[in-house]
Formats: sequence, structure tokens, C-alpha cells
Amino acid sequence: MSAPQINISDVASLARLTLTPDETAKFSAQLSQILGHMETLSQIATGAVPEVTPPAQPALRQDIPTPSLSIEAALSNAPAQANDLILVPRILE
Amino acid sequence: MSLAYETIATLRHRLLSKEIHPRDILKDLFTQIDAREKTLHAYTYLNRESALAAAEKTDLSLPLGGIPIALKDNLNALGDPCTCASKILEGYKAPYDATAVSLLRQAGSILLGRTNMDEFAMGSSTENSALGLTRNPWDPTRIPGGSSGGSAAAVAGRIALAALGSDTGGSIRQPAALCGCVGLKPTYGRISRYGLVAFASSLDQIGPLTRTVEDSALLLSVLAGHDPRDNTTDLRPPEKFLTQKNGSVQGLRFGLPKEYFLPGMDSETESAIRSAADWFKKNGATLVDVSLPHTPTAIAVYYILATAEASANLARFDGVRYGRRATDARDVLDLYHRTRSEGFGAEVKRRIILGTFVLSQGYADAYYRQAQKVRALLRQDFEKAFTQCDLLLTPTSPEPAFPLGERTQDPLKMYLADVFTISTNLAGNGAISLPCGFTKSNLPIGLQLIGPRFGEETILRAAHAFEQAHDFFQRLPPS
Repeated sequence: MSAPQINISDVASLARLTLTPDETAKFSAQLSQILGHMETLSQIATGAVPEVTPPAQPALRQDIPTPSLSIEAALSNAPAQANDLILVPRILE
Repeated sequence: MSLAYETIATLRHRLLSKEIHPRDILKDLFTQIDAREKTLHAYTYLNRESALAAAEKTDLSLPLGGIPIALKDNLNALGDPCTCASKILEGYKAPYDATAVSLLRQAGSILLGRTNMDEFAMGSSTENSALGLTRNPWDPTRIPGGSSGGSAAAVAGRIALAALGSDTGGSIRQPAALCGCVGLKPTYGRISRYGLVAFASSLDQIGPLTRTVEDSALLLSVLAGHDPRDNTTDLRPPEKFLTQKNGSVQGLRFGLPKEYFLPGMDSETESAIRSAADWFKKNGATLVDVSLPHTPTAIAVYYILATAEASANLARFDGVRYGRRATDARDVLDLYHRTRSEGFGAEVKRRIILGTFVLSQGYADAYYRQAQKVRALLRQDFEKAFTQCDLLLTPTSPEPAFPLGERTQDPLKMYLADVFTISTNLAGNGAISLPCGFTKSNLPIGLQLIGPRFGEETILRAAHAFEQAHDFFQRLPPS
């Protein structure tokens, strides 16, 4: 497997990022170099090896209500709010 | 002598004997900060007034009563900023305490301030901070390491007694090594991550940076334990570490992994590590040659898995609920794009893009899944090595602190700075870095001791014995 060419703008868009032309050029070169380094992994035989999965949940807690953030605290950092709700730009025309 | 030069253990003794008051410690620390912070820039925020107020009402009977501690700027502490050294969290004030912070408060410690870091803990030099770079106390033209560079520079520069950091791929141990202090990355699951701003959740772990191993053990004893708010924390009952300090390493087996002693490595680093190994042998320990054969893959595995997890974790910074919000957005999608593009720095964008790519359709099998499988092989390497030895002994960093600016344009070279620390995060084990020598140009060299999972007691016992038999921890950076 050789290092693939990433379409940086497409991937950035999936990540909700808009890159400047300078960033696009710079990241393309840097990421190809980094992905080139990652090619070493394709040479490791892993046929029967199971993937590492997140650790098994050591304990399930009781499903009972406990104190949580107040509405005031939860909204304390909201950039815009009204009537105990966070305001965002219109999502439906 | 200024109280800022003392350790937590000695100050606790003097506080309990009423020889000094907590405000005396703060006064001396603030004097040091006023003299040195302008050069070092270790802090992003100082709690001067609230710390002085807290000093008047501390309960000295608590384990850390009256002891000021600094926090890396990615740990939420109620009412304080938590910037992660990013423009995207400008103006954010934490609405709650991280569990680790809450445990420090309950143990009587005073929150001194918040330390600089690479943005969202992504970096090895603290040069990726949006709030300015931090300098190494031993040579201000050099990096302090990263990402907990502010914590390490503050402790080594005698402007904090101790600080918390976070370690995803070496971010506590590498700056501790480069600044000449003690940095402990506990076993994954030892300390709750609740309230630590997540970078890569399967790798992140909070830990202390201190002047001595004893202080590291004091902090670990306060911080360790199960937390119902972090279900990856281990269920074992609370432990007190390093309660016996007999200084003996008799009978311990130290494994020297051949993959960590490479031809062409920095000769002064290699010689300091070999001397440390010889010291353990002279004092009754055994040295064993071991192999961790998948070590050469660790950087690739790490930068696939850590960036994949980061791309998901950092999706929350979208300008909706907290932090920066771009103005004049046309619609919600435009709001996300503009907020994130304006708010994140270059390294964070680079890693989010890489992480998004390795998880994307058509590439996830070759990158993400293959990396998870190789991670399993890396873990097996450690498990096998620990059937032959009690601790692994390695350099923390392949070289001492490098000059500021040397690697900022070469991310891959920067990533390679973590080569000796990241495997431990991938395997989930605990490890410590402690000073074991200095270069001819007076830069600290760090020794790494890696333990089996939940083997912190053995790590701390061996590290303490080595530390107390040498004077490295007592040396002071030039003022």
C-alpha cells in the first residue's frame, strides 16, 4: 500500500473546517509525509489479532437521579441565550 | 531561603509544627513568580486573590492542607478559565470542578493558577499555545517540552511547588524530563478523567509534576481512586503510596528494552541512562535485556488513534453551547465552519483532518482498524516483558530540550520526540520520569521507569531510592 493522496478540502469539510489556500497547500504536503510514515503499519501481520476495544465497563452505577448542573450554570457560557435556551442561527428556511 | 524552593513534604511538616503559615508559602511563590514569570511564561492565569483568601481558612489536618498547586489549563475548576491554550475557549469559565480538582480541594490544597500547554494538549514543545510560548528554566532559548510545558517549567523554575498535567503520549513525562522535575503518568484508570478536556479518551491520563518522588506519591495518594463519573476508573480501594521509604531496590529486576537504545541516539542521554542502570545494579537489582518488538510502529499507531479520537472529541467545539462563536454566520453549518476555522490553531486542524481521514470510508480498515490491532500487539509486548522484569528502564526523551522554533515547521520530526513515551499510553501502563543527569551544557536528562499496570508502588519505590542517592533533584536552574 502506498500513501494515498488526501483531498484535504473534502476531509476538512467533513470535519467542519474551511482551510485557506495556504493551509491547504501546507497541510497537503505535511499530511502526505505523515501518512508515508504510517505505511510501516501495513507491513505488520495482524490477521488473527483482535482490535483493541474500549475497556470493559468495570461497574455499572445505579440508575438514580443525582444533582447535576443547574440551568443557570449550564447556560453560563452560552454565546447567545433567551428563555433558558441557547440561541443559534436559523436552521430551517 | 524562600519557601518556593521547598518540597510539599517539608512544607507540610513546617505547617503542622506552626513554624510557617500557608500565606507565607504563597507570598514567597508570588515573589518568585514576579521575578521569573516574565521570562518563563509558565502560567496562563493566576489565582492571586482567591489563593490568598483560601490560605486564611485552610484545614492543616488535611493531607495537602495549605499547599498551593497549579493546574494545567485543560482541567475544569469551578469559576476559573479553562482555555486549553486555544482561542476557541476564550472567555469560557468552568461551571464545575474536574474530579481531580475537587479531590485537591477536599485535601486542603490551594489552587494557585493555570499553566500553559500546547493547544488541546497537541504537541511536544508548548509552542502550539495560542497564548504564547513557554521557555525552559534551564535555558530560555529552548523548549520546556510539552504538552504540559507550563506545569513542568513552573515546577522546575520554582514558581510552583507542584502542578497537575495530562499525558496522552508523554505530555507529563517528556516536559518533566526536559525541565528536570518528576512527572508521573499513572496507569490508565488510576485517576478520574472527569472534567479533563478530552483529547484522546483511550490514552489520556492526569498526573502530577513535582520536585521529588515523595511529593509525586503524596499527590497520587490524593488523586487515585474510582469515580462513578468516569467509568474507566478502576474499582480498587484507595491506596496510600510510598508509605515505606526504606530506599532498597534489592532484588528488583530492571528490563532494558533494546528498541529504546538505538545507534545514533544522543550520547549524553545514553550515558546518563546507562549510569542509572549501573547504579540500580550496584544496589542489588538485576538488569535484564528485554525486547518490545513493536516499538518502531508506536508513533504511527499513536498518531492514527489519537487523532481519530481527537477528531470526534473536538467536534463539540462548534460555537453553539460555550466558547467562541463566529459572528455573522449565514446558517448553522456556516457557524460551525467559521467558528472552528477561526478558533483552532494549525496543529489542532492538522490533527483533526488526519483523524477524520483515518476514520473515513475506504481508509478506516487500512488505518484505524489496523492501528487498533497493532496496539494489541504493543500491549502484548509489555505483558511479555513484565514476565521477565519488574520495571522497564529507558530514557524518557531521545535527547535534551531542543531550541525554540527548531521543529515548528516539521510536524513529523516533532512527533518523533515522543518515541519513548507513547507506547506506555498505548499499553495503558504507568510510568515516571525523574532527573538522572545533566548534559555538559547543563540541560536535564530524564530517566523513565515503566511499571506493569497498577504497578505505581514499585515505580515510586525504585524512583525514590535512585533520587535520594543522587543530588540531581536539588540542582537549581540559573536565576
